[in-house]
Formats: sequence, structure tokens, C-alpha cells
Amino acid sequence: MFSMKLQEKTRRDMLKLTAAGVFAPALSGWLPALAKAAPTGGKGKAKSCILLWMDGGPSHKDTWDLKPESKGAGEFKPAKTVSAGVEISEHLPKIAQVMNHGLVIRGVSSPEGAHARAKYYGHTGFREGQGGVVYPSLGAIVSQEAGKSDSPMPNFVAVGGRSYGSGFLGPKHQPLLITDPNRGVEDLKSSVTAAQLGNRVGLLEQMDKAFHREYGADSITDHKTTYERAVKLMQSKEAKAFDIAGDETKSKYGSGRFAEGVCMARRLVEVGVPFVEVTLGGWDTHQDNFTRVKNLSGQVDSAVSALVNDLKDKGLLDSTLIVWMGEFGRTPNINNRGANPGRDHYPRAWSIAMFGGGLKGGQVFGKTDKEGASPAEKPVAVQDFLATVCELMGIDHTKKNETPTGRPIQIVEKPKPFTKEVV
Amino acid sequence: MRFRSLALFALTAGLAVLAGDFPSLDAQEKAIKKGKKKVDPPATTTPADPATKPEVKPVAPPVIHVATPKTKDPAALAKVIDAEITRKIATAKLTASAQSSDEEFLRRVSLDITGVIPSAERAKAFIDDKSPDKRTKLIDELLADPRFGRRMADIWTAKLFPKDSGNRFVLKDPLYKWLEEEFNKNPGWDTFTTRLVSATGTVAENGAVTYFLANRSVDKLTDTTAQHFLGIQLQCAQCHNHPFTTWKQTEYWGMAAFYGKVKADNPKNANKGGDNTTIGVTEGPRQTKQKDFFPESAKTVPAKFLGGPEPSLGAAEPYRPALAKWMTSPSNAFFAKSMVNRTWAHLFGRGFVNPVDDMLPENDPTHPDLMAALAHHVSTTGEFDLKYLIKAICLSDAYQRTSKPTADNKNDKALYSHVAVKVLSPEQLFDSLAQVTGNRASDARVKGAANPKGVRLGARDQFVNFFLAGADSTSALDYEAGIPQALRLMNSPIANNPAAVRAVAGTTSKPEEAIERIYLAALSRRPTADETKSLTDYVTRVGAQTAYGDILWAVLNSSEFTLVK
Repeated sequence: MFSMKLQEKTRRDMLKLTAAGVFAPALSGWLPALAKAAPTGGKGKAKSCILLWMDGGPSHKDTWDLKPESKGAGEFKPAKTVSAGVEISEHLPKIAQVMNHGLVIRGVSSPEGAHARAKYYGHTGFREGQGGVVYPSLGAIVSQEAGKSDSPMPNFVAVGGRSYGSGFLGPKHQPLLITDPNRGVEDLKSSVTAAQLGNRVGLLEQMDKAFHREYGADSITDHKTTYERAVKLMQSKEAKAFDIAGDETKSKYGSGRFAEGVCMARRLVEVGVPFVEVTLGGWDTHQDNFTRVKNLSGQVDSAVSALVNDLKDKGLLDSTLIVWMGEFGRTPNINNRGANPGRDHYPRAWSIAMFGGGLKGGQVFGKTDKEGASPAEKPVAVQDFLATVCELMGIDHTKKNETPTGRPIQIVEKPKPFTKEVV
Repeated sequence: MRFRSLALFALTAGLAVLAGDFPSLDAQEKAIKKGKKKVDPPATTTPADPATKPEVKPVAPPVIHVATPKTKDPAALAKVIDAEITRKIATAKLTASAQSSDEEFLRRVSLDITGVIPSAERAKAFIDDKSPDKRTKLIDELLADPRFGRRMADIWTAKLFPKDSGNRFVLKDPLYKWLEEEFNKNPGWDTFTTRLVSATGTVAENGAVTYFLANRSVDKLTDTTAQHFLGIQLQCAQCHNHPFTTWKQTEYWGMAAFYGKVKADNPKNANKGGDNTTIGVTEGPRQTKQKDFFPESAKTVPAKFLGGPEPSLGAAEPYRPALAKWMTSPSNAFFAKSMVNRTWAHLFGRGFVNPVDDMLPENDPTHPDLMAALAHHVSTTGEFDLKYLIKAICLSDAYQRTSKPTADNKNDKALYSHVAVKVLSPEQLFDSLAQVTGNRASDARVKGAANPKGVRLGARDQFVNFFLAGADSTSALDYEAGIPQALRLMNSPIANNPAAVRAVAGTTSKPEEAIERIYLAALSRRPTADETKSLTDYVTRVGAQTAYGDILWAVLNSSEFTLVK
């Protein structure tokens, strides 16, 4: 809401880490030698998080919290899963087979019922405009707290859709945006040969070195660091993770951008990217809810089950937290708008599903009332959920980061995490 | 908009702490921290003593210690600036860096005033010009250039039209155009502010009403007006030892009441064909009935000036002109200082007070006497003339110093012993790249404006949004671009355009001529002898056309291009 002009306070603390030694051994060695990944801190088991963002607000009663006896029960039937006592939608049959790695949270609440504000809230845990600050989204928080500053790979990648960014944490923690997974990273490939690029970078080094020698400003070092990382990314073998064309497992994820994005997310996690967000739009089902949710469920079912199985096969499921969520749920009742009715926005009670990441699988946490209208047991606020994700990733969510004007903001405000009950 | 009540609660809570005799432990800790954060040299500032109670300074007319010219005389005003700046540098026992080279000055002042680097021809002409007053003439030329309006509109659109889901359907272009024209006309900062704050009509009639549509509630308007024109952050009171102990919650709503009779139309959904050029702002005889114009926490109190009196206003009379008159009066304690501080920060990358919109008395200016003198002068003799103030500052030695530090002044950030290296804003970067490569896409905004829905973005807006990466603006002194931005500059056609290479390097058989042309076009200077030699060798090694492409690529991606020395 307010344009917080970034003036006095700089983001140098973090940049210093990356820039350390940059000018000490002169401006050499951009091209060879990939930096070694630094270990991430923390006690949580998860090293990476894949956030599957269900844009538009998925209907909880037609996915994870079916209420066959309720008034607005809808057309779908609950189905058993491999985990005793855990029932989910009949249209998620493959996920039912991996439910032993999953956790369903029922009874999540948010105060926001309009898309833009609710998405902001779900990503940041703060209300848009609160205190005149732009808050960082979960991906930016993970990038800042668990990201590797010397890796050629970005710490936050967002596939499809628009993602909420880094807010006051600054552009270094903005996601690298992939609009089309088949095209990979925009502008990643040089328009000239590797040899010519080498020449160019050599010229650039020479120019920057002379400029720094005379003027010595910190911004020159920061510019150099950013370019160095970008060049490393262009040349790194890790960057192949962005190229899904030859991925043998791709077809298991289904077809379409979401499936491709989830496949890319797995590849990125394999090379150590700590946060990947993949968006699946179309959940704003005011009309024709059941046809549309059935179709969307099919996409989720293939992609998520393939992801869980692949990560398990590669031994990465324990260290990768998968989160499925949207900005709110949908009304327990079915509206009577038009020939193909739907459900409307509903922030009071909805569901989130998680897999892997050191969770004890095959569980349901919390419960809604018989209509699926209000949390009945163990209500979960968005902050509680975000704090739990932080703990699972070894991030201290009570840490305070400073805004550019020097105001300390706790990562998650008033959190009541429930980690102990789900690991 | 329930969250607003939180902000207000915090405001009141902050005041409650200060109303007591002793600051809370928390407040003391903050005072310590603030003291540590100061970067002013020890010789000139007294560090905040955490043991003492924060000083409560009354709002009183400033005492002017520094004499200012009796007429509008930019050169004389520049001397006033230099006397104060030099005195502080001497007190701190620092040396001042030498005067900037013509090349350095040309690029700096062009970017600061018109937002774009000079063309190769202009650079060459200026560098080779032997007349002694060429810098003064250049400043006049730049201030008369219509691109001054564009530069200022870029800066102020970001402030007056913040990113917010509530204003996503509001048209931005009418405000941008209004700002561009106003800044070029330069009516005086008081008149400008009055026109904005009391704007009425439809978007098509008066682009200034967009300010109200983009900040459509009394509290947002109160906060943004205070922040941008008075230099006060009302919404942030919880973070500060607020000096106005008489400030109460009712005082906030007393200011907000000046906007209480505004009726600002709700923007329509452009995706559903809504025409947002016909909506606008009126001010009626009584409080507006638009419920969503008031937060839940709003208090209905009589209109009252911040730290000032309750004006007697007729019931049917519009309130905003009274607010504007109070704000823009030369006796207003905040208005002229805020204008001076912002203009200073625009040109130096930092204000006398930082952040520039947080001018609380506890937030000490680095040069209090100079700031007070400039504010006094500009609000009286200076007629709130923004171009005059800019010209005077640009004429000063302080502004015209090189940004090359000396051995003893390299750590100075606040005394202006050398000029800070600034970072090009996304708009400056786009326009400067277009200047070099001849890309006409910079005119795309005009085309975009022809679209009534205004949803299609031109190449310039797309580029700017990509570099802003979600923020409203970027830092003036910190390089903040990330990997995606670097990749775009390196690998997109921007810096890989063979036609641009041919146009810039020209058709010469002499490598040194081509190299000089590239340097003049992109860096507004000729290459040094060393650079010419090493680059000529490079041309010999890889062949002329390839080499020129490589050199232009390297120059456009270099820190010297993206920074302002």
C-alpha cells in the first residue's frame, strides 16, 4: 500500500556473504569452478519445500474433507486410502495409494475472502497493507533463511502463474519465474557461442575491475556478484534441471503445464533448490463445480502421486516437504447459480494437504463440523500452518527480520505451530 | 478493512508509551539501536544517550542560522549550500574530493534531471565545449527538456499509486500524464500539491483525481499525504519514540476528516468492459456515504490540522482546499522541509533526514541549519519553485564533486565529501538502453494510453515491472537486481542486436574510432588510452564486427553503465 522507499538500511549483510573474497583474488574465475553448496542450518528434516498452489480456492468438501451426510454434500464420494481411517475424494485414487506419506489438515481458517488479499495472506501470513509493509512470501522466507548464497541455482523458483514475492526482504529473494516449463528459464541461453561468451565476460571483468579500482562503491561489488551468479547458472550442470524435455518420468505426472511444472520441481529439488512453487489455476468454481473439480483432481492426482513416488525412490521424500493448498475453501452449500451450480469463496474452514518432509504419514489433523462449515477440533490458523512449515524446514519462525526502515518483523506473527503432533 | 484498526492500535500504543515519564525498556533498546545505526562521523554528531529520556522538541517555527539570498539567485543559493557543506567537512577533518570531470558531471546531471544518458553527439559536444559556463547552460537545457516531466512522473507515480489489489482496475496513465505535464509546467510545489490534494472531476477531465481512486479510503489518503508531502509516517508510530506527546488518536482522525466529504468512485472491472475514464472524485456538502471509504476503526471528529488548530469551516464548504492551504503555507513546519529533503535525496541518493519520509524531530538531520535555511528560502523568496531548487543544488560544488573518494573520505556517506554512486532506476535503465540501441519502444506508453482499458503494457512498463520485481521502487544507492535481470540484460536481444552494433560503431575502418563511438554512446566518455589499446588489440584478434558486438555487450552490461558516478 505504501511505497516504502528503500533508503538507509541496506541489504548488505547477506550480500557480504556472497561477495566475500570476490575482489580479494581479483575478478578472476567466473567461468570455471562451480561453487560448492553450503550446508543449510536447522533441525527440521526437510531441506526443500514444493508448494503446490491451487489458485482460486479449491473446494475442501470435494477433495480432502468430504461430508456425504451433509446438506451440501455434492456429487463426489469419499474413498478409502492405504491409511486406515483416512478417506479422501474418490477422484484422487493414486494419491490414496501414497496417503501413508501424507497428512490432511482439516479446519484451516483465514480472515480473507477475496482472492488477491487471501493469496497474499496465505503466502505471507500477514494482511495486505498491514502496517504499511510489503511482507515476504513463504518462498522468499525460505530463500533468506535456508537458501544457499554460493550456489549457481536460485533459491526460489516459481512455475506458472504469478507468485507472491520477497517484499521487504528485497529482490535477491524474488522467485525466478518460469512461465512455461517447456521453455525453461527465460534468457538462460547465451545468444553466442561459449567461446565468444568467454571473451565477452573477459571484457566485462576488465571494465568492472577498472571501475571498481577508481570508485570503490559497494554497488559495484554487488553488481559483480549478481552477474557472477547468473553466468554460473548459465554454465552449471544443475541448470539442466530446468530442461524437462528429456525427463523419462515426465509422462507419469500427467499432461499440461502443471504436470510439467511438478516434474520440473522434482528435478530442481534433486539439485538442491530449497523452494519451488507450482501453480494450478482454475479452482474458482462458482459454476460447474463438479465437472471442473473432477478434472482438476485428475491433474493433482497424477502429478502428486508421481512426485511422492519419485522422491521416495530417490531417497528424497524425507527431506522434501510437499504442500498442497489454495487461498481458501469453498462454501459448504452448493449455490443455485445457473444450470451447473458451484460453490463460492469460503475462508472459515478449509483443507491443506502435506506429504513427505519428515511428517508422520497417514494422518488427519483437525476436524470440521458435520457441514464442513467450521473447525470443530484443532483449528489451524494460516500463521500456525506457516510456522509448522518453518519448523519442518529447520527455520526459526520467531526470528525478526528488519524492514528497510529498521522495523523488526517476526517471520510469523503469533504462531501456534503443531509440528510435534504431526512428526 | 479490519487490518487498519491494528495500525491504529499500534499508533495509540506507541503514543501511550511516550506519554509516560519514562520510556519503556523496549523504547530504550530502540534508542540504543538507532544511535548505533547513525553513520554520521563522530566529530559532528552526538550519539544518542540511551540513559536519558528522549528529548521532546516542540513544533516551533525554525530559527534560521544561515542567511539566504534576497532574490531568486541559484548561484548565490549554491554558495550558501557549499558554505554549510564545507564547514561540516572541515569540522570532521575530512578532505573533499575534487570537482567531477565534465564526462562524469554530464552523465550524472542528465540522468538525475531527464532520466536518460545523453546521446553520443551531445556527449561529444559538451566534452569539447570550451565555454566556462557550459555546466550552467547544460542544467538549464536539461530542466527545459520535456523528459524532466517524465523522470518526475516515474518517481511520483510510484508514490501516489502504490501497488495494491484494491486499485488494480484504476487507470495509471492519466495520473502519469498529469504529473508529467505539471512537472514540466513547474507551477510551484505549493500549487502542485494544492491541485493534487483538492482534485475534483473525472479521470478524463483531471488525471489528478486518480490519486484518490488509487488510495480509496480516508486513512490511506491521510497516511500518503502525510508521508509524501509532509515527510511524516503516521502509520509507523509504533516504531518510534514519538515526540508529539500531544498527538492523540483523535488528532489522526482530525486530519483524516479533511477527506471525509470526498466521494471517490469505485473502479469498475476492466476485464468486464468497465470504462474507468468516466469515474472520478467529487466533494459534497457532508460526509460521504460510501461506507468502504472509512475503515471500521474510523472516528468521527472535527477536522483539525496536525499539531495545529481546528479551522472554522462552513458545513457546506469543501474541506480539502483548507487542508491544502494549511499544508502549503510557508509557515507549515513540515511542507517546505519535506520538499527540500526529497529534492536533496533525489540528487544525492540520500536526504538530510533518512528515510526521507520519516522526518520526526528525533530523526536528526545531518545538516539541520542548511535544511532549515533552504526550506525557509524556497518557501518565501524561492516561490516553491522546484526547478529553481534543483538548479541551485546542481550548481553547488557539493553536487559537482567527483564520486571518486580520497583515502580519508571513502567511508563518509553523509557529509558529501564525495558524491555517492547511484544505481539507475529501471526507468532510467530502459531509457538509457534505448538511447544507445535506438530502440523506439520507449514510446510504447503513449500507445498503451490509447487503449481505454489501459491493461496492455508497453515494452517500457514490462521492462520496468520485471526490474521492480514486485516493489514500488528500487533503492537509489544499492544494486538490487537479481539473476533473472542479469540474464535478461546479457542474453536477450537488448544487448545482442547486430543492427544496433552497426549503428553505434558506424562504418569506419579504424577500430579506435568505433571504440570511441561505443564509449561515447554508452558511457558518455571517450575510452582511456589503456582501454583503446587493449580493445584495439581485441578487435585485431577476433575481427571488427564480432569485436564491436562484444564490446557493446560488455559496456551495456558493465557496472559503469548501470551505475551513476
